[in-house]
Amino acid sequence: MKYKVREEGNVTIIDLSGKLMGGYDADVFRDMVHELIEKGRKKIVVNLAGIKWINSTGIGILITGYTTLRKNRGDLKLLNVSKKIESILYVTKLNLIFECFDDEHEAIDSYTRG
Amino acid sequence: MAEETFVLEFPSSYKWLNMIDLMCTEITAGMDFGRDALNEISISVIEACTNALEHGNKCCPDCDVRVVFRRREDRIVIEVADCGEGFDFTDYLQHIPDPSDIHKKRGRGIFIMKAMMDTLKYEKVEKGGMKVILEKMINGSGKEGDD
Repeated sequence: MKYKVREEGNVTIIDLSGKLMGGYDADVFRDMVHELIEKGRKKIVVNLAGIKWINSTGIGILITGYTTLRKNRGDLKLLNVSKKIESILYVTKLNLIFECFDDEHEAIDSYTRG
Repeated sequence: MAEETFVLEFPSSYKWLNMIDLMCTEITAGMDFGRDALNEISISVIEACTNALEHGNKCCPDCDVRVVFRRREDRIVIEVADCGEGFDFTDYLQHIPDPSDIHKKRGRGIFIMKAMMDTLKYEKVEKGGMKVILEKMINGSGKEGDD
């Protein structure tokens, strides 16, 4: 997994690419979320446009990020969810947990709408 | 069409999953699966292989994962075997945790494969380890008949 972090106002966008499949990725993502929380940046959008594969462990990584942020009064939303990822979210009913967007501006605006 | 069989063994490393995915794509090409079904097969094969290398072989590079694709007239059958210690699959399959429970760290992989494939079976391998057998029928789900 590769990542880039950028800021759009008070929203942080994490652009992920490659494979999100557990192992080392879990540590990297967890540390990144903790670092952002420490900086007070708790409104996160994870852009999955560059993710080629994800498996159940990768979904678990996103859930851990989501629960960590929620505990800290933040949120984690998903952007550019591919058909494959969408089908995993659907069968696991996690589409009911994660807010998903196809448009970055809409994802950012959703935080200002509250 | 007689059954066509393709066998691949690879060391327990994530880096080989790309090759498995490509092989899966090649083998299922030309079969009458729709795009959604092909996605479901691909997701399930990657899930089975990551389970085998992570939970079965504990990511030990000396332990191989063996994948067998059986291309038949009406279905694709995929077997993924590890050489780990195995687990009580009967009990596990009857008590798969609710995948939407965000506090559950494990169990989603098997749930995903069960939902996306028509048949999901586990068998113990004679030499040790577990084998998961996945089946996907062409032209609709065979799930109704399985129930």
